[in-house]
Amino acid sequence: MTFWDKMQKVDRRILYVILVVFVCTGLFIPVKIPVEPDPSSKDFYATVMAIPEGSTVLVQTDWTNSTRGESMGHFENLMRLLMSKKLKFVFYSAADPVAPQVARTVITRINAERKADGLYVYQIGKDYLDLGYFANAEATNTNMGTDLRQAWANRTSKVPEGGEIDIFKTDVLKDIRKIGDCKMMVVVTASASIDIAIQRLANKVPITAMVTGVTGPGVLPFYQSGQVKGIAIGLKGVYDTEYLMANGINIKDGEAKPKVTWAKNSSVDKVAEGKTFARGNQYYGTLHVALVLLILAVILGNVGMFMSRRAARKGGE
Amino acid sequence: MNNSIFLLAQNTENFWRKLPGQGLVIWVIIGLLLGIALLFAFTQVPSNLRRWIIVGFTFFAGLPYVLAYLWPKPIGADLQNDIPRNMSEQIGFTINQAIDPVGKITNVLQAFLLGVGIFSLVRVHLTKVRRKSENWGFSTVLLVCFALMTTVGFMDWRQRKFMDDNGLLNEPANWGFFQYANDLLFEGMYQQMDSAMFSMIAFFILSAAYRAFRIRSVEATVMMASALILMLNLMGALTYAWGTGIENLVVQTGNPFFMNFKLNVMADWLRSTMQIPAIRAIDFGVFLGALAMGLRLWLGLEKGGVSS
Amino acid sequence: MNPQTFAIIKISAGVLATIGLYSVLYKETKFYRFWEHLFLGLAAGYGVVAAWKDTLYTDWWVYTFGTAATPTAPATPGHWIWAALLPIGIMGYMVFSKKHNWMSKIPIGIILGLWSGQQVQIWWQTWGPQVYSSMQPIIPTTFSPMARPSTLEVANGQVQTIADSAQLANVQQQLANNLYPTQALTNLIFVVTFISAFSYFIFSFELKNKLMLGVNKLGRWMLMVGFGAIFGSTVMARFALVIDRMSFIVNEWVQTLTQRV
Repeated sequence: MTFWDKMQKVDRRILYVILVVFVCTGLFIPVKIPVEPDPSSKDFYATVMAIPEGSTVLVQTDWTNSTRGESMGHFENLMRLLMSKKLKFVFYSAADPVAPQVARTVITRINAERKADGLYVYQIGKDYLDLGYFANAEATNTNMGTDLRQAWANRTSKVPEGGEIDIFKTDVLKDIRKIGDCKMMVVVTASASIDIAIQRLANKVPITAMVTGVTGPGVLPFYQSGQVKGIAIGLKGVYDTEYLMANGINIKDGEAKPKVTWAKNSSVDKVAEGKTFARGNQYYGTLHVALVLLILAVILGNVGMFMSRRAARKGGE
Repeated sequence: MNNSIFLLAQNTENFWRKLPGQGLVIWVIIGLLLGIALLFAFTQVPSNLRRWIIVGFTFFAGLPYVLAYLWPKPIGADLQNDIPRNMSEQIGFTINQAIDPVGKITNVLQAFLLGVGIFSLVRVHLTKVRRKSENWGFSTVLLVCFALMTTVGFMDWRQRKFMDDNGLLNEPANWGFFQYANDLLFEGMYQQMDSAMFSMIAFFILSAAYRAFRIRSVEATVMMASALILMLNLMGALTYAWGTGIENLVVQTGNPFFMNFKLNVMADWLRSTMQIPAIRAIDFGVFLGALAMGLRLWLGLEKGGVSS
Repeated sequence: MNPQTFAIIKISAGVLATIGLYSVLYKETKFYRFWEHLFLGLAAGYGVVAAWKDTLYTDWWVYTFGTAATPTAPATPGHWIWAALLPIGIMGYMVFSKKHNWMSKIPIGIILGLWSGQQVQIWWQTWGPQVYSSMQPIIPTTFSPMARPSTLEVANGQVQTIADSAQLANVQQQLANNLYPTQALTNLIFVVTFISAFSYFIFSFELKNKLMLGVNKLGRWMLMVGFGAIFGSTVMARFALVIDRMSFIVNEWVQTLTQRV
């Protein structure tokens, strides 16, 4: 058995250990890597930043901790963005019963982070609403598009003054009569729930998305056709958003040239307050290490196959 | 129209809507009895009629959506606020009003059906424990955890919903036993295990990439090249270094055309010119299949389907 | 309980559970099966709680019984007929009955009926804009120059957007008014990719025409380009999950423990 034959038959557990070692090593070196954000990420950021202060945004949060590595970064960034822009929001899930609870935990954490930084803390019933879980995404999205007030009739929310009131009497939804009155709908998802939302609502409200790497490629055709205004895809999308929040678009900031340039837009401000680099920055460097490992694995696997075949042919001769 | 079943969610009282304390409980019992009567009536249905009952329910659940699309509407009509001017418009408005209750009914039924899988799981493991089958100890663990999570989760919700008007329980300093227990079981354990379960796929992908991703055909080579360009572009450090090199070349030659050879520009070209139309073609094919399947299911034509 | 002590117990339980599940990567043992069953039990338990508190309570219970007036909100009416949904939902559980299991198909039929009916409704909403955006112009309007003029220039040893605004506006005007041969070629590749890949789905019967066979083969290659993109993106997604798990152990757990120390 040649060296290459042995390499071909290496125990899978050795590969697993190598992955753990590579990833753990990468985590010890979190660095701010300069990037060129994807056009879809720039569109996402520019769309959110163009919304007037005080407007209401719908947030469909369809992820759970099963995709925490990407979706939590997306949701944290979204919360930081909305809160720094002083936008009101309504969140709900149409895909997973666990999703609203995960979102609640993140909002509590971001609020704690803002409190520690001396920033305004978002309050339920005044700045945002929690509508929980709707079991059937197809029906939920269609009803929202048909008549938002009917779709969410009889729902109440706690308010800072104490007690509960009808959600359409809260500051968040009092001026909203139909879904088109909301300035944007953001779908944070790890599943095809984004397709369901686009199919039913894209002609009624501007939709943007923050999706996982698995879901991302399937949403790109909707982005190209303009049905989705912007998408942050996967861990790269998480880091892109953080990078854009920190640097803006076409903003020189005392330097010779902007860190992020874009021919499509004159300029988009960086965020005014709060944290920018966070989970994406923590993980992005390590993603490099893991991807290099995978590329090496593919190359080594193929080289091993060719060398083994060559050795077998020579042996045969 | 005020008594229409389709106006259930309007803010007016009518036959279908009663305020609490005005005999509503009696009416709810009547509603419940009607449902039970329907259930018992179905137990007496002869077998040759069963298929038609299921086909009927399927058809009428889908009908408002098909009609809402096909029925002509005045251009720019606001179906929530306008008043219909004639019979045709009245029908269009009524169809539109039907969409909300049908959607809500589906939401509720789907939530009830979530319990079917859980009921089945608990039933299987209860049987295992009762019969002391092989590995019944693990089944006990499952059942205990199920009971714990349900009790603790429900009690936590109840205390937060009905006994905490001022939101004191949002602060961990005010927590009691159920809040701590729920946080430990849900956030501390379940959520972390959910994440761990799915992350294991990365290990299998690495192993499969090493053992099975082989360049043996044109197709495999094309796929690998496409994946490689995308993965290289995901590495911001590499893209940045490559881009800096290209910019230096442009500065030296004075020709901005070379900017097209930046890694992110090439990857973006590949994505928007080849990857997007290819994925769109896949989706288009899938969606045509879904449309055909949808029509067959709706009309009860699908053999082996729900109406078989 | 001291919040710091609770934080340590909570995160340590999470780490132990993660390691318990990861142990299957080495071998499937009783240790792994313990954690697997614990996970399933918690998942099923939370499923029941979530289905009630986030859907059934608001969409069914409150909707059926309405709400009494409070100091902050007036009473809302209840919809008594909604109570009939409970027995219809129970029909779903008839799947466990040998005699009446056909009834379980009624609630499923309602859900499928809604989905099926919507397929007709959403067809054009989904594909209209996509078909429209796939119709790309493929005949150039000018051949001079062959490539798109650039909006960039080299100045002060740097590549930057053309500084002279009049010149920049002129270039942007040219770009808006013309279709250059390189752009036309890009559009042609887009259209050919879409048509050939799609033809792979619709021409699934036996082909004898050489041209169609060629288109079919090209379609297969183009599908591979799409699958390559999906693979690359999936790799990122899965690695992100394992990075997060390692970060949970290496950063969050160790940090919580060291803060205590």
